[in-house]
Amino acid sequence: MSSEKLLLGRTIETGSWVHKLDARGKIIGMLLYVAVILLSHSWPAMALLAVFSISVMASTRIPLKYFVKAAKPLRYLMLFIFIVQVLSIKEGEVWLTLGSLSLHQDGLRLGAFSVIRMLFLVSFTALLTFTTTPGKLNQGLEGILSPLKKIGMSPDRLTLMIGIALRFIPTILDESQIIMKAQASRGADLAELPLKEKARMLVSLLVPVISSAFRRAQDLVYSMEARGFRMDAPRTRYHRLRWGLADTVFICMFVVMGLAVAIL
Amino acid sequence: MAIELQQVSYIYSDRSLWKQTALHNIDLSIPQGSIVGIAGATGSGKSTLLQLFNGILKPTEGTVKVLDVTLQAGEKSPKLLALRRRVGLVFQFPEQQMFEETVEKDLCFGPLNFGMSLEEAKERARKAMVDMGLDLSLLERNPFRLSGGQMRKAAIASVLAMDPEIVVLDEPTATLDPVSRAELISLLERLCREQGRTIIIVTHRMDELLPIADRWIVLKEGQAAFQGSTQELASDPSILERCGIAIPQSLRYWRAVADRFRLEGEVPRLTPKALAEFIASLSSDISHPEIEKRDNHE
Repeated sequence: MSSEKLLLGRTIETGSWVHKLDARGKIIGMLLYVAVILLSHSWPAMALLAVFSISVMASTRIPLKYFVKAAKPLRYLMLFIFIVQVLSIKEGEVWLTLGSLSLHQDGLRLGAFSVIRMLFLVSFTALLTFTTTPGKLNQGLEGILSPLKKIGMSPDRLTLMIGIALRFIPTILDESQIIMKAQASRGADLAELPLKEKARMLVSLLVPVISSAFRRAQDLVYSMEARGFRMDAPRTRYHRLRWGLADTVFICMFVVMGLAVAIL
Repeated sequence: MAIELQQVSYIYSDRSLWKQTALHNIDLSIPQGSIVGIAGATGSGKSTLLQLFNGILKPTEGTVKVLDVTLQAGEKSPKLLALRRRVGLVFQFPEQQMFEETVEKDLCFGPLNFGMSLEEAKERARKAMVDMGLDLSLLERNPFRLSGGQMRKAAIASVLAMDPEIVVLDEPTATLDPVSRAELISLLERLCREQGRTIIIVTHRMDELLPIADRWIVLKEGQAAFQGSTQELASDPSILERCGIAIPQSLRYWRAVADRFRLEGEVPRLTPKALAEFIASLSSDISHPEIEKRDNHE
């Protein structure tokens, strides 16, 4: 049910060239992509952005509908942003007047830009989690954050937290599902209850979910300690990060795109 | 029939990249008032099958008939609240089922949801505790402070408190000590034989259930590889091996005796005592046929 809908953090393995890239390269690429989006200010730039984004997405060999699905939860936010933009910007040619409200050309244009930007931002950056396993992603993040060691911060600690959190999202979701089923079996089916009862039932769902999360955390600590885990200890990796030509090309792609949209 | 499945399939995450077939084209029927064991290797679809029995999962193909409710794939299901009261499902892990502050509140949860008064619910809770052999002083305890075995018994009690007609249990004896295990099995037998309830048990310990079970369903990779009476299973237990299950000791012993004496169509003796008596009667048959005859005449 919900774990099926949840695409966050799910890797879809197709073995494409994007999958094989260095995680650091992909993270930097995504940051550059955000800059590219912010630099796009005109219809030609938007068109170029669309062609570029869709072709990169297609090259991962992951069906495009999964990228669309990733942006779907934000559809109401996008609609809201569009309406606010349309109503608040009062420049350019007037297209339609309804009482005190008027529809301006610039409002429509900027509203459309915001929606397109948002759409591409969310669906394109989903590429990062679709093509990179959480472990590699974390390692990439650690690699990028490693300069922080020089100013006395520990990127290990940060990435360990993120790593554990990501790892346990699906586990805890699955477990809540089982608890919900157990309670539905005893006559408390969320789907069949009136709204007020639903709220009450959520409490009885949260108690076992949270208590089991604590139990799980305790077990995790014991098993990590039992295997001699120490924070910030130098360790060898099973997967090494390796920067190759493809990664440089990947980064350059975004730089070129940035320049192109800035000119257009 | 208490439960009838017709060509039922169940697919997890249908229409997605992660789709997984758990059950494939299953036909089965479970008569009212019987004890049915379900066996199968891990991942053979046992737990999925159980969840079809009270409408927690709806079949992606086929028809599930439970008591007077019919669940058909692709059709909107009827209100299931009434069905859930009549089919009690005990999940595999008790800690995923308990959540109230006290055992008593937890046991009352089901009965209250099904519209009983608080007094009635408390009465049911007490009765279920006694049935499960739990001390009534535990009612005031926090369920998470119980021992593993007590917690499991309390979880089973919380389902029995709903007074279900069909009791479905997913590996109920897994974390119990041997004494409690035997007690639970005999309680389930009483629930069936004296009160006419239908009992369905998923188990990895077939030995403890074999003497009382009427029927068995053996699953293999989401398909029903065997379905029939305990006697049929005892006549050819090799099907279990083909499904990745070790043949239980009691069936091995019975097979050894039955093969040695070339017995066919005999009711299997699956407890040590019954088997010993049976062997004794066989050997007296062979060595002293006259004595046996004379005994019978008197």
